[in-house]
Amino acid sequence: MKNSSMIWKTAWKNVWRNKGRSLIVVSSVTIGIFAGVFSIALMNGLIAQRVNDALNEEISYIQVSAQEFRINNDSRLIIRNPEQTVSTIRANEGVFALSERTLITGMANTAFKSTGVQIIGINPAQEEQVFDLCNKIIPGTGDYFGKESRLNLALIGEELAKELNIVRYSVDSVTISRLKERGVPANIVAKLVPLKGLKFTNEHAFIREMKKLFTAGESEKYGALIKKEAWSYREGARFTLTFLDKDNNQVGAVFKLTGLYDVANNMFERATVFVKNDDLKRLTGMPDDAFHQIIIKVSNSDKVNSITDQLAEKLPGLEVMNWKKIQPDLAMMTDMVTQFYLIFGLIILAALAFGIINTMLMVVLERSRELGMLTAIGMNKRKVFSMIMLESVFLSLTGGLAGMILSYFVILITSKTGIDLSQYAEGFGALGYSALIYPRISAGFFVVVTILIIITGVISSIYPARKALKLNPVEAIRTE
Amino acid sequence: MKVIEIKNVTKTYNESEVHVNAVNGVTLDFKEAEFAAIVGPSGSGKTTLLNLIGGLDNPTSGEIIIDGTNLSGLKSSQLIDFRLRNIGFVFQAYNLIPVLTAKENVEFIMSLQKWSKQESDTRTFELLKAVGLSDRANSRPVKMSGGQQQRIAVARALASRPKFVLADEPTANLDSKSASTLLAIMEKLNHEEKITFIFSTHDARVVKMAHRVITLEDGKVVSDDIRE
Repeated sequence: MKNSSMIWKTAWKNVWRNKGRSLIVVSSVTIGIFAGVFSIALMNGLIAQRVNDALNEEISYIQVSAQEFRINNDSRLIIRNPEQTVSTIRANEGVFALSERTLITGMANTAFKSTGVQIIGINPAQEEQVFDLCNKIIPGTGDYFGKESRLNLALIGEELAKELNIVRYSVDSVTISRLKERGVPANIVAKLVPLKGLKFTNEHAFIREMKKLFTAGESEKYGALIKKEAWSYREGARFTLTFLDKDNNQVGAVFKLTGLYDVANNMFERATVFVKNDDLKRLTGMPDDAFHQIIIKVSNSDKVNSITDQLAEKLPGLEVMNWKKIQPDLAMMTDMVTQFYLIFGLIILAALAFGIINTMLMVVLERSRELGMLTAIGMNKRKVFSMIMLESVFLSLTGGLAGMILSYFVILITSKTGIDLSQYAEGFGALGYSALIYPRISAGFFVVVTILIIITGVISSIYPARKALKLNPVEAIRTE
Repeated sequence: MKVIEIKNVTKTYNESEVHVNAVNGVTLDFKEAEFAAIVGPSGSGKTTLLNLIGGLDNPTSGEIIIDGTNLSGLKSSQLIDFRLRNIGFVFQAYNLIPVLTAKENVEFIMSLQKWSKQESDTRTFELLKAVGLSDRANSRPVKMSGGQQQRIAVARALASRPKFVLADEPTANLDSKSASTLLAIMEKLNHEEKITFIFSTHDARVVKMAHRVITLEDGKVVSDDIRE
């Protein structure tokens, strides 16, 4: 024990023999590990949010529909025996909540524009149990089917509202004071004064005017924020939805907006309209108890595969699919990300390893007389090797631990505050990602990184240590 | 009792196809507790002979037997272990480990031999006292003079109670006073611990104190003067 403790002590002291050089190496390892861990946490957060958004706002965990419905989108393909199907699903262990839906493809129209949409008929009370959409209503735009109305009600996305020219852009004193509150410099806000009192019926017209007032850099930095604050919407605006009824006759109806929702995925916002099941069934002539789809939320996401299998067995004749099958790209991304982390981590560690090898080679060269002396007085090759290896591990681990501690605190803070990349919100939104990213990483990841750093230290020591072992003590002692 | 037997040892170096006999047919014995100096002009083979006796180099021919063990029959790893247990080294340039304190430098050999902490502490204290540096136990070599460093090197060489100590020009870098102190300490330890000391040296003071003086010329022993 004493023998090994003396080698450990000597190796640790040797690391700090040349403080300047060791600190440079330790700093580079610290920065490398911080960059690696934080980047992975950022990516992890981005993907986890995307999956979470998809599960809670777009597709849910499991979908049940009639065979072929998902492919053909034929509104006549309804779920037979809906009551029995619903009770079978509810009775299955692990099912948290479900929602029955009617799905029709149609067109949304205003006096300005028309666009193709997926119309989803829902029971709002049921849907709240499964989806988060009720919490995604843009403040000031209405509510989640909260008000009773004689008219048909519809909930649409912000992007669709822009597409249909339902939103307006205008700059008034409230807009200006909000921009100031959000830290936009006074000189930028002052440039907006000429727009006061003007109303723009679409986003493009507003952007065109902004381009005349701001430089490209200013537009890039503050454009998204100004658009957000200048945006307004007239509550209760109307538009028409046209679609085919159960007999394939085209029908149309006026819908009043109950509110606008804002989710991370712009494509989903642009293409999905939520209406009440009752309204849609009445307009299409579908029976009251008919549904096209049942979406299911599970209590434990890890058990989604087994619950899918159980339901598929209990519901013959129906298609039961979980999110991994519905959106294989998303499932593939979550599966691939681990491998990506591994490759990314290995590249960083390989770069660090070369730095450590270089330093340790210098160490061996500088200390060849001392290493020769140690062999001469009876320190065997295994112990010389161990000492060099420990120095390399200490060097990498010191930097590695510093990098991980730094990463831990930065991730801890940013996981609460989020990293706001709203400058690129449109790009993120187009891909379905949120522009406010909350980095996250598991505690186990830090353990894995620690082990990888130790392995890197050991591997980095092999070549320099072999060089040390090849030193001839007689020649090494003679070296000046 | 013979501690070292050198039988007709030759060491030949081949440099640019020229054979140089650094040690040429040397036959010598060293007994327990000898205090011997190997002298001779530069290039006479003193250091080479010392390296051969210490198992740091292999003879081209002949045999070196230490306490009954023929060094030629040992593998590299066995030789290292043999040196650890039987031979103490004192180098011209001290060669202490700069990051360790005086005490830790002395303890280092004992730690390699897996001595217990208690044994190691006792022996270290004893040796630091013997070389007159108990008060510098926690100093690093860089804070000590050349003479003090060489005294620590002597303490380290004696730490594991070797059968003999090989000292290559131990006083070459020391001033007169430090050299005299060091020699006095080594002579005292030779007397008290019954450990054989073999020096290679140019230093007249070492020669004066040595009990036996072996003179080499061109790798050959030209005189072997034993003083009573």
